[in-house]
Amino acid sequence: MKSKKLLGSVGVITAAALSLVACGKSADNGNTNEAKKASKFPIEVPKKETKQGGTVKLAIESDSPFTGIFSEELSTTKTDSDVVAPGAESLFDVNDTYQINDKGPATMKINKKDKTVTVTIKKGVKWSDGKQVTAKDYEYAYEIIANKATQSERYTSQLAFLKGLEEYHEGKSKTISGFEMPDGENGRTAVLHFKELKPGMYNSGNGYFWEAVAPYHYLKDVPFSKLNSSDKIRKKPLYFGPYQVSKVVRGQSVTWVPNKYYWRGKPKLDKVVSQVVSSNSTSQAIKSHKFDIADVINTQWKQVKDTKGVNFVAKIPLQYSYLGFKVGKWDAKHSKNVMDKNAKMNNKSLRQAIGYAMNISSVYKKYTGGLTFHVTTLIPPQFGDYHNSDIKGYTYNLKKANQLLDKAGYKKKGKWRVQPNGKPLKIHLLAAGGDATRGPIIQNYIQQWHKIGLNVSLVGGRLAEANSFFDKIKNDDPSVDMFMAGWSMSSEPSPADFFAEGSPFNYQRFVTPEQTKLLNSLDSQKAFNHKYRVEKFHEWQKYMFDQAFIIPTRNSYAITAVNNKLTGYSLKPTHGNSLWYEVGYKK
Amino acid sequence: MWKTVLRRILIMIPQLIILSILVFFLAKMMPGDPFSGQINPNTDPKQIEALKRAAGLYDPVPVQYARWVGNLFKGDLGTSYIQHVPVTSLIADRAVNTFWLSLFSTVISYSIAIPMGISAGRHQDEWQDQAVQIFNYITLAVPPFVFYILGIWLFGFTLGWFPISGSISPNASGFWGTLGSEIYHIILPGTLVALITTTSVVQYLRTGIVDNKVEDYVRTAHSKGVPEKVVFNKHILRNSLLPIASSFGTVITGLLSGSMIVESVFSYPGMGKLFLDSIGQRDYTTLTALILIFGFLTLLGNLLSDIIMSIVDPRIRIK
Repeated sequence: MKSKKLLGSVGVITAAALSLVACGKSADNGNTNEAKKASKFPIEVPKKETKQGGTVKLAIESDSPFTGIFSEELSTTKTDSDVVAPGAESLFDVNDTYQINDKGPATMKINKKDKTVTVTIKKGVKWSDGKQVTAKDYEYAYEIIANKATQSERYTSQLAFLKGLEEYHEGKSKTISGFEMPDGENGRTAVLHFKELKPGMYNSGNGYFWEAVAPYHYLKDVPFSKLNSSDKIRKKPLYFGPYQVSKVVRGQSVTWVPNKYYWRGKPKLDKVVSQVVSSNSTSQAIKSHKFDIADVINTQWKQVKDTKGVNFVAKIPLQYSYLGFKVGKWDAKHSKNVMDKNAKMNNKSLRQAIGYAMNISSVYKKYTGGLTFHVTTLIPPQFGDYHNSDIKGYTYNLKKANQLLDKAGYKKKGKWRVQPNGKPLKIHLLAAGGDATRGPIIQNYIQQWHKIGLNVSLVGGRLAEANSFFDKIKNDDPSVDMFMAGWSMSSEPSPADFFAEGSPFNYQRFVTPEQTKLLNSLDSQKAFNHKYRVEKFHEWQKYMFDQAFIIPTRNSYAITAVNNKLTGYSLKPTHGNSLWYEVGYKK
Repeated sequence: MWKTVLRRILIMIPQLIILSILVFFLAKMMPGDPFSGQINPNTDPKQIEALKRAAGLYDPVPVQYARWVGNLFKGDLGTSYIQHVPVTSLIADRAVNTFWLSLFSTVISYSIAIPMGISAGRHQDEWQDQAVQIFNYITLAVPPFVFYILGIWLFGFTLGWFPISGSISPNASGFWGTLGSEIYHIILPGTLVALITTTSVVQYLRTGIVDNKVEDYVRTAHSKGVPEKVVFNKHILRNSLLPIASSFGTVITGLLSGSMIVESVFSYPGMGKLFLDSIGQRDYTTLTALILIFGFLTLLGNLLSDIIMSIVDPRIRIK
């Protein structure tokens, strides 16, 4: 699956409940000045000459102990990947729009004629025990994912574009026929034979081929079914990145020391400690310099922003929140979305009017000090030319909203508008709880909708608990007409699998022939032509804007506080893979 | 008496069976499942469905219950859906942490509460009593999480005397180093818990002393010419300690239940935190195992309390 997810909010709720911060109260201080300052966050700390040595304490914000499954193929939580960042390195480096380049531990070559991707691991890329990373290590990663005994959650139908992977997954074959090792298991080259090549394959995070390796020589004696709980994964994992694990305290911390075989050179630090800190302590932890690197929780920004001795860097994560409209149902039998023509929300003008009645920009200026901002379209600017900057999104315009409704026949009867067929119109909004600003923001939107005569209320009269929220939208609960949720995206922009007819993630259940055609064109063979693909991306975004069955609302800066004695810390995609090699103390 | 104990233990069996049924079915009625939260980058809903099917989550609930009970008799509490390790090992790990934290806080709590209760009861309406009462009102009125957060803010962050999270420092090594670090990590949360949980003990003790002071047998002792000190220690105090002894059984078993709030605030990996997380993550196996253990501990605690009472108070006899 091309990574998009429903943003979980269980952690956030706990954080809000226990937080020292009275976020709601401080809201009206957020003025435009603040917003301007926020947009001027640097993406990296100043570059200085580094010296050798020192310890860096890395804060892992989590309200629960981390799971500690130290394997890219088996791990299921983001916390685990945060913990292992100093040691885990992906096979490929990327440029700033996430295209795979030749600078990483391995190179990749696409051969359209043979439908193959050749991955060559560089000589000298070594595990921290000194063994060269081999083609077999790459194949082994595939085996871990696809072998049913490991119960890996990473097996996807997209990875199964690799020939033979499905047969291996089903147990029909003992090897993956499409995985060829021309120089043998100990060679460094792997040729992957695909059923079909996709234009997205040039990007990291494309989901069609795996981008990590697993140490076969180290893990081969552990049966697949025991991998998940084995000490070799949980206590003494092996990596080929700049640092190697020296100690794991279950659920709490991991201590890293330099990998002396690291292929890029000598890591700068003597020690890195990744340690869990609960999200309600984060702002205090930053202020009291308990950590050298810590992510800022946006609702706590006001408490930390004046902290001395800290550089704040920020990036805009690949994600957005949105308002979605239920216009159909999931047909589990045929695994596809079926649109219901008579659904209450199946009226474009109604959806557009709801969009125009939302004062998104002013709300976020007010409540988040400008750290959150309006998102206009479904492909963010980070994807370069794929982003359609002509689309201005749904901006606050009550007059236009009223006009749209009038024209579409939603007449006012008393206080509220009724449906064109004369039946009363009651719209039920489902939203999950979050930080303290969540309630007021949603109440504000509801008031705006009331202004245009739409009788909108929260499902059950309140914000939903995260699990029950997810349950309701996943199972098309009839009590839900529209809902507020979030997606996070992978670094390959194709949205096809999340809006497609066959995607369970298409919670709106919106399916039209036009939409299907557009989505198919994005990943078609013709789309290997970049210009064509960009054109189709623009067209799709325009169509989505017009149909308004999903209205993107907001995204927020992800701010990190970095000890100002450190240099080399960057949030640019280019540095993503080599980040921990570059981080060190200033001379 | 031992017959009674045996009977009580036998009665616990149906109680636990009913508890297990309730717990299991209620857990399954919660919206969502362990895989709800796993919709993350690079997962395929189809694979998640397949894993759910493999885990038996689509079987009828009674079938799942039967399977669970079957495994229970084999001593297998299952594998955590979230942590991917056997629940027994997960719980054992956390129980140790919780045990030490609770033991520390209980010892401190009693060592503060008993002298306070005695002093308040003995000097009724004098300044000692008033000071204790004020302390009691404050600790009763302040919500524990506010108290803990203030504590962590003051002693953890501002003064920097104590660690702010976890049960052990990443640098700890060697037997003494590890032990020292573990104790260092429980001092602050343990003391905070102790300070805020003194109320009931202090009140029971104070009221007991105040009430007993005017009892006939005390007057008799006085009139017999028994020295004041002996009257107080031998007659008043011993009788006043009875209500405290009556809760001792649950206190002992409670050492393993942990405290959700303090463990959350301090990110302390104990039973309470595990319980809270397993609810949030719908980790059924862990959740049901924990409730069953908590239930068992409560029943056992009550039984222990009764046994303790019958030992310390000859007037009470279990029939």
